[in-house]
Amino acid sequence: VTLALRPAHVRTRLTLWYIAVLSAVLALYAAATLVFLWVSLRRELDRGIHHEFEAVEDRLRPAADGSMRLEGHDDPSDRLKFVEVWSPEGRLLYRSAHLNSQQLGGPPRPDMERTSVTSFVLQTGVPLRMRSGIRDVASGSRVLIHVASSEERFRHEWNELLAGLALGLPLALGIAGAGGYWLAGRALAPLGRMARQAERITADNLQERLPVESPDDELGHLARVFNKSLERLEESFGQLRRFTADASHELRTPLTAIRSVGEVALQADQEPARYREVIGSMLEEVDRVARLVDSLLFLSRADAGRALRPQVHSLLDVAQASAALLEILAEEKSQKLDVTGDSTVFANVDALVLRQAVVNLIDNAVKFSPSGTPIRVEVRRDGAQGVIDVADRGPGIPEAHRSRVFERFYRVDAARSREDGGAGLGLSIARWAVEAHGGRIEIVSREGQGSVFRILLPAVER
Amino acid sequence: MHILVVEDEPKVAQALKEGLCREGHEVALARTGEEGYYLLGAQSFDLVLLDLMLPGRNGLEILTTLRKRDQTTPVLVLTARDTVEDRVLGLDSGADDYLIKPFAFPELLARIRALSRRGAAEQFRLRIADLDIDVVARAAARAGRPLELTMREFQLLEYLARNHGRVVSREMLARDVWKETARATPLDNVIDVHIARLRRKVDDPFETKLIHTVRGVGFIVKDGAP
Repeated sequence: VTLALRPAHVRTRLTLWYIAVLSAVLALYAAATLVFLWVSLRRELDRGIHHEFEAVEDRLRPAADGSMRLEGHDDPSDRLKFVEVWSPEGRLLYRSAHLNSQQLGGPPRPDMERTSVTSFVLQTGVPLRMRSGIRDVASGSRVLIHVASSEERFRHEWNELLAGLALGLPLALGIAGAGGYWLAGRALAPLGRMARQAERITADNLQERLPVESPDDELGHLARVFNKSLERLEESFGQLRRFTADASHELRTPLTAIRSVGEVALQADQEPARYREVIGSMLEEVDRVARLVDSLLFLSRADAGRALRPQVHSLLDVAQASAALLEILAEEKSQKLDVTGDSTVFANVDALVLRQAVVNLIDNAVKFSPSGTPIRVEVRRDGAQGVIDVADRGPGIPEAHRSRVFERFYRVDAARSREDGGAGLGLSIARWAVEAHGGRIEIVSREGQGSVFRILLPAVER
Repeated sequence: MHILVVEDEPKVAQALKEGLCREGHEVALARTGEEGYYLLGAQSFDLVLLDLMLPGRNGLEILTTLRKRDQTTPVLVLTARDTVEDRVLGLDSGADDYLIKPFAFPELLARIRALSRRGAAEQFRLRIADLDIDVVARAAARAGRPLELTMREFQLLEYLARNHGRVVSREMLARDVWKETARATPLDNVIDVHIARLRRKVDDPFETKLIHTVRGVGFIVKDGAP
């Protein structure tokens, strides 16, 4: 039910909340004011009655008929004060004339205290505050004095405040609510502009950004965060576009070869051996296409988050297995392939996947460094990280290419590409394989000193 | 062998038929799932090559119905779907083996041989011309002269000899000799180097060459020119 009653707009919701909180605060404040005013007005009244009581006590004189009179006259203007005096035996000694014979406090009762203050309502409906006390007066007799004052004046004052508050508070709330609604609208307006702008951004104009109106507030923060995601999105879109273009180029090259070799062969009659040659050459290209598609499938599954089956492995074991597989290639080039290091560095890895990374690095080292130079694979531990270094004495990777060598289809030397360089996917497969294990791969060598590829993986204890 | 090929792509189907006929098999072609289903009910086959993606009746359906009818004809599934789930699904439905498209023809022949040979005893002594291989003793000799082979070279030679007269692709070598699940470019180079070294020991000193390269396909061991 509460959900159904939830207003659709943040602006309305904010305003309603604001009004609710504000009215609660104002109501509390008004109530406190009213209580405080009531208490202080009554205290003032009581003080007045007290003075009056003492004055009456002083001015009481015995009258000729055995009753009592007040010395001096009742102030005729003050018809809101009342006096009544009783003898201990219950005989009325004095009563203010404007009481019109109405009884004020009545005769003394045995349980009466020396002084008491009470509130009551006169028969005519006038609310009264009364001080009663038994006193020995100047004449030497003991009497009961009642002095009362009408509460009408202070009640009137209090009621006026109440009325003022009752009228003023809703008005104030209304004004505050309108102001709050306006403010909320103003505060949320940039959000609306951002939403409209964001709506306009599609795959075709990903380079556009949201306006950052005030960089330091929450909305500016939101815009910046959104822009950052746009940036990443733009980057991956760009990568994807490049990738598609590169992939079609890579596929087109062998397809062109197949086509032209086949077409040329069919132009004239050939010897069977020549046909065999031609078909073999076409099959080689087919093989290249198939392998390329395999690698692309592997990477696309990697993108889709291929499930690894990690187990705790010694990194040295993985490095040795990789080196053992390729040892013969190094041997052919009289390169010394050395695997050294700490056999107690363990990591939680899918050995097959990680081995693919190391194999690709070693293969590159063998391929790109000159005959007779050593290739060093070293495993060690660096703090919480397991490290595999693959170092060669080849030409190294120029600074300019370093950030891009891990990209798909990227080749340092475009000219020496296809014959010995493969499709340019080896390093991107290696990078995926390492990053899938929560590690990273980097080039740490300085230019002109060969290449050192470094794999860093979170180490675990066996 | 009497082989049923259920394959909807005409070129692939025709190539399979021709290739298998040349190997001495008798081949029936079905272009749709329905046709394959009908043929399976009408005739008996020694082996079925089944494409999983078919118009009409889906390959997997055929497979499940076949197994429901308690027919134990070996089924080799051909699929372009290269995901583990599909493999498991295919094997669970009663396929005996699978090949992922595009596949190499020699590989297909090897799988067919393996299926037809299931349970047959392995040979321990292989002879091709004057090459003599003792699998148990892990020793090979040519013209009576022992060959000094490394472990890997011996495995390679044994595998080639077991398939003698037939082309062996690099994929097959990677999987069966190197036991690598993924075929990668570095491994192809490794295989080539090993073949080159094996040749140096087995063929170079002798007049007749036994190990031949079939361009674009793989290698073959046989007596005489390929």
